[in-house]
Amino acid sequence: MSREINFEKKIKRRALILGLSKTLFTFFVFGKLFYLQILQKSKYGKLSDTNRIKLKIVYPERGTIYDLYNKPIASNRIDYQLSIFKDKKNLINDYIKKLKGHINFSEVDLEVIKSNLKEQDLSDFITIKRNLSWNELEFFEFMKNKFPFLIITKEKVRDYDNDIIFSHVLGYVGFKKNVSKKKLSNLKVGISGIEKKLDTKLLGKDGWIKFETDSKGAVKKELNKKYAVPGANIKTNLISEIQNKASVEMRGINGAIVMINCQNGGVNCLYSSPSFNNNEFSDGVSLKKWNSLLADEFNPLLNRCIAGLYSPGSTYKLITALHALENKKFNKNKKFLCSGSISFGKRKFHCWKKEGHGYVNLHEAIKKSCDCYFYNLAKILEIDDLAKFSRLFSYGQTTGIDIPNELKGIMPNRKWKISNRGERWQKGETLNTVIGQGFMLSTPLQITLMTARLATGKKIIPSIILNKKEFENLNINNENLEFIKSSMFSVVNESTGTAFNSKLKGYYKMAGKTGTSQVRRISLKEREDGVLKNEELNYKLRDHSIFTCFAPFDNPKFSLSVIAEHMGSGSKVAAPIAKRIMELALNKYQ
Amino acid sequence: MTEIIIKLKNLNWLFIFLISFLSFVGLVMIYSATFGEESKIFISHIYKVTFGFILMILISLIDVEFWKKNAYLLYFLGLVLLLWVTFYGHLGKGARRWINFYGFNFQPSEIMKIFLVISLAKFFDEKKFQESRDYFFLILPIFLVTIPFFLVLIQPDLGTAMLILFVSVVIFFVSGINWKFFAFSGFLTVVVTPYLWGGLKEYQKQRILTLFNPENDPLGSGYHIIQSQIAIGSGGTFGKGWTKGTQSHLDFLPEKHTDFIFSMLGEEFGFFGTLSVIGLICLITYITYHITSSFVHNNFNRIVGYGVITNFFFASFINMSMVIGILPIVGLPLPLVSYGGSSMLTYFFGFGIILSMDRRSN
Repeated sequence: MSREINFEKKIKRRALILGLSKTLFTFFVFGKLFYLQILQKSKYGKLSDTNRIKLKIVYPERGTIYDLYNKPIASNRIDYQLSIFKDKKNLINDYIKKLKGHINFSEVDLEVIKSNLKEQDLSDFITIKRNLSWNELEFFEFMKNKFPFLIITKEKVRDYDNDIIFSHVLGYVGFKKNVSKKKLSNLKVGISGIEKKLDTKLLGKDGWIKFETDSKGAVKKELNKKYAVPGANIKTNLISEIQNKASVEMRGINGAIVMINCQNGGVNCLYSSPSFNNNEFSDGVSLKKWNSLLADEFNPLLNRCIAGLYSPGSTYKLITALHALENKKFNKNKKFLCSGSISFGKRKFHCWKKEGHGYVNLHEAIKKSCDCYFYNLAKILEIDDLAKFSRLFSYGQTTGIDIPNELKGIMPNRKWKISNRGERWQKGETLNTVIGQGFMLSTPLQITLMTARLATGKKIIPSIILNKKEFENLNINNENLEFIKSSMFSVVNESTGTAFNSKLKGYYKMAGKTGTSQVRRISLKEREDGVLKNEELNYKLRDHSIFTCFAPFDNPKFSLSVIAEHMGSGSKVAAPIAKRIMELALNKYQ
Repeated sequence: MTEIIIKLKNLNWLFIFLISFLSFVGLVMIYSATFGEESKIFISHIYKVTFGFILMILISLIDVEFWKKNAYLLYFLGLVLLLWVTFYGHLGKGARRWINFYGFNFQPSEIMKIFLVISLAKFFDEKKFQESRDYFFLILPIFLVTIPFFLVLIQPDLGTAMLILFVSVVIFFVSGINWKFFAFSGFLTVVVTPYLWGGLKEYQKQRILTLFNPENDPLGSGYHIIQSQIAIGSGGTFGKGWTKGTQSHLDFLPEKHTDFIFSMLGEEFGFFGTLSVIGLICLITYITYHITSSFVHNNFNRIVGYGVITNFFFASFINMSMVIGILPIVGLPLPLVSYGGSSMLTYFFGFGIILSMDRRSN
């Protein structure tokens, strides 16, 4: 019997052990649950959110750029884009294979996809195709169930209303290059022109959309979003019609046309020829196209208006004359004999007119653009003084125009010669400089600005973006200024003036100065044999045709320069173009 | 007829309520799991719960002596089914576990768990040589255990096989077998395990290995454990709300209506929900203990009671432990909550016998 009792006790004991082990097990599970759900709640909460919530960056719409008359010149179009869920990017090749034939993937697209795949972007989606056509969109709408990890989004992308004519001044947009771990890999920024200069204003601020996706990455619904803030709109001084006219006039001609409003410094026209298509750039230009543009001998990517360097030629005589009057008390009625050339030291300096102008005074020398007169003038001038005076008209320094990559050209002086050529200044070089040849180089913008400052006597600063400005006086004797202006008036309006052919018809009068920028040096032998005509020369050796002018004469409003590369004398090509553009401006925008 | 009414009156209705409540939790969770998807599963589960409940009441009306008398016969029946399923069973998820019976899929391994408990109870009740130093009498019960264990293991169904073994060891233990036997079996296990390990399928090995470091291979076999922990952890104190679980409804959680239903519960009802279910399971276990320990000198009743509740308790806690990452994922449903007819019917069956024992003792 005691055995029975002992056995019962044993069984009770073992049941207790079993019960205790179950209690222990319960506490283990309880403990782990407490740890997971109470102590680590925020960690796991976040993990569950990163599991399901996927972010799509919404890129902001760039600000619109308007011309002076509120015509949009850079706006945005709707672009439908196809994006893939980042976690499924290994599917991309398979998808492209399946979509091929229905959606066109160009070589550029494939290149872009390749680089996009490497980006460390905030977004959980990778754009694989931009600029979807209606047919492609329709196809995808129909087939989207078969591609659960692709989504279509609507983005606003840059679109230039005219591909060609504003390319240099507006610039273009593109992806930032060589920035590691870009946060916004698809953000386009301004690469050149106004787009670059005002990028921060035009850019706006990005937004996002949060999507809920399931474990396979299929998008279930849109959770919430932050709207992108569009960039600010920009108003410019450009006038579309004039810009367009400039492009028409420059068809087949390399060169530049710059027009500045003399009253407020507003740049009404800034056209460089040849141009390029900036829409192509904004859509992502292919390497092939880029290389062909770089290799083009006429360098279409160069903005000649601000970075094309030309000898100002005879247009610079205006500054030489003004300097002599202003600073050397030069008597403007003094006459010099022009016999076609003068001797200075061992060298002979030629006038453009072989048979000479005879006895001329300063007014006639400007009107007829007599070189000999200025050679004589040069004898009494000091190059350093001339260079210093020329700075008032922006030669040798940047104008401060509000687009990047402006060049300052060369305004030579003694110091410049020593440090750049390692030689002392020769007096003979002053003779070349006073007629805008020799070392001197300037941009079309500088030449236009010179004219504007001469026309107003004020230190005009050019600006493409519309804003009100007051300019300080140049402090030049008004009498001298009026003399130069009246000489420019004679150039255009008197039958013996070099630009008489380009006299305006109608009420308004224009004043101007021709220039012929010599590209080559004429040898002694050639002088004897007879100087070759431009038509006989290789294109690259022909003179540049330059004309700068302002109008109306009584109350100057527009200052305009035309540079036509290798087109011969200023009176033949540049002046007639300037006349036509000025007529348009005066008729419609005065 | 009046006899039946008296019998019904004598049933432990608190116990029945607790079991029904746990099944109700299962219904609620399965509704959420299949919400907006296959409503068939939910409807089918309602049928199964109803059928199981009726089965439990029917069995509670049968006297315990019936099971004692037919224990070996039932065991033999179960064995035949198990053998049959081994060769002709319905393949599903790489395992041969199911018998297709007029459109109902049925797992013999589940019912075998109960029949094994009953036969072991019968054996230890009749032969009281526990104190004997002669261990040869243990050969028969060892065979009773190992045959179904191996048959289930090769299906393969590691979870159920381990549970069969574990419950059997517990039965040996509460039957009062000498400590030395366990020491010896433990030693034997250590020796045999390497061979057993070699016999496991690759995916089973992988499952056990990932337990030790789930973060190692987040998209491989550790993925399920991590996602399950995220689901439970993100539930916090009160959960994300019924049918609002993101982990479960966006398919980050695998098998959410079967093995991982507890994770979903944790996500949607939080610590409050998981604690309530644990409390419910512990309460059911405690009441069964209370009933069982009242039988003095009735080894059969005691062993059946401990066997049934151990089966229920450990199946529950192993399931919970595996979804919270303290045991490997072995593929065990949460009793009475998970979707899956056979296992649920087995638990209702077991509780039916306990109700019957309790009725008789009143």
